[in-house]
Amino acid sequence: MVQIVVRGSVDGSSPPEWLLVELQGEVITRHNSGLAGNVMGDLLYTKEGVPVLIVGHHILYGKQVKLEKPFAVLTKHSSHSQDSLGSHDNSVITQVPMETNQQGPTSTSYSVSALIKRKLIFKTRPKPIITNVPKKV
Amino acid sequence: MRTLEEVRATLEIAKLKEEDLQKTIHCLSFGDNVSSADYCLMELDDTLCKHIEAGQSLVIRGDKDERAVLCSGDNTYDLKIADTSNLLLFVPGCRTPDQLTNSQDSSHVAHTQIWGFCNSYWELRKHRPKLKKLKKILMENPYEGPAIRGQEENTENRYTMEDLLERIQASEEEIKTHLETIHACQIDGYWRVLDFDYEMKLLGHVTQLVDSESWSFNKVPLQNSLEELAPLEPKEMIEHCLNCYGKRYNENDKVFYALHEDKVCRGVALMLLQNAVKFNLREFQEVWQQSVPEGMSTRLDQLKSVALVDRTSRPETICLLRVEDLPEDTLERFNHLFTLREKWTEDDITPYIQDLCGEKQTTGALLTKYARSSMQNGIKVFNSRRPVAT
Repeated sequence: MVQIVVRGSVDGSSPPEWLLVELQGEVITRHNSGLAGNVMGDLLYTKEGVPVLIVGHHILYGKQVKLEKPFAVLTKHSSHSQDSLGSHDNSVITQVPMETNQQGPTSTSYSVSALIKRKLIFKTRPKPIITNVPKKV
Repeated sequence: MRTLEEVRATLEIAKLKEEDLQKTIHCLSFGDNVSSADYCLMELDDTLCKHIEAGQSLVIRGDKDERAVLCSGDNTYDLKIADTSNLLLFVPGCRTPDQLTNSQDSSHVAHTQIWGFCNSYWELRKHRPKLKKLKKILMENPYEGPAIRGQEENTENRYTMEDLLERIQASEEEIKTHLETIHACQIDGYWRVLDFDYEMKLLGHVTQLVDSESWSFNKVPLQNSLEELAPLEPKEMIEHCLNCYGKRYNENDKVFYALHEDKVCRGVALMLLQNAVKFNLREFQEVWQQSVPEGMSTRLDQLKSVALVDRTSRPETICLLRVEDLPEDTLERFNHLFTLREKWTEDDITPYIQDLCGEKQTTGALLTKYARSSMQNGIKVFNSRRPVAT
């Protein structure tokens, strides 16, 4: 049987809290250049605390929600060290039966990087921003 | 990186007035490692959340043929992946309005990175641990007593706690509790179950000693018992027997055991019932009462989940039926029970389905789901939902 450790913290402290931003649909870059390093958009809050997101030519209104069930953000580590308690490599945990992969000394472990208790969710339809407003003649 | 001017220009185009907004504007961009970062999200319940906040670790356990489970120190959860059609972005540095100081007079840009994203997460559901395997593997080499001189002890198939954690999909605490339930003990660092006959032999020694010394079964002195029985069995095993069948306490600096009437009677009943398929109920009850220590009373309800009484046969009978010998899977358990007997009263079937209940689930709910009810002679009975060969 495979045993994979999900490590808590080294010193017994609580992991940091991150914020989750939930969007409908996908985010793609204009030139398909990959996401890394690219600006996504601006996030602002109205005086009443409503989050507003401007992404490309769209403006989205959202709300802040406390998660009914908090999330843990796990980081996967594949290493040659003694991180996992078995000597097998386990590639992916899914709901299908696990396969034990007998190759090589790599082992998998996870650590808890953060907790997420709140999110900003943008569910309304993005409104297009019209840049060229015809001047009144 | 975007400047305040650029942001202000965007606001203008978007027809948002700076005076309607809070002073901090987060400019979100994707971090360099955003696509290669190996993050995943796991949903937590309150217990797990507190666990993680205390910095504790968890373990994922799974076999080739089994689904994966997540174990904390004392609980087991089923792991499942849930997909969402939404995109979930992790933004560590992003603040919410309640966290903003708003102390600055003018707007400013906070450059914030998105460290990762995903569109699925692990769902956890608390699960009753799969412990049947525990007894099964320990029964590969049950302890039958100390090796007889000249005979070699069987050292194969012995398991330490570490070995057990490698094989059983349950938390350490759940495993420890179950080891106690099945009267396992540690011998030479290995966890062993006792061979049933040997366990009964030990119990027999203890009960006979209690009778011959005319001790109250509520006040069995440990030291005297060990001394008297030492010629017959190892002291550790006598003490283990007392621990399984009694409660230890101190009085005047001496250790005593109060033998548990129900456990002792149940043990004796099991010993008697082992030897045949069915017994005449009345005869059994007579022999049973005579076999238990002086002062103890036998009652049929002590045998719930280990023996089944048939009140419809003439004469009435009783046979051995231990819930721990039945299938672990809920549907298989019900099929098995209905194969043994077509119709069950709620009283008779409840002890055999109690352990199947999930959190906050009742046996009534299980019966509604897995059985069909009808009336027979004015009593509600349950039978299978599907045709079963009896």
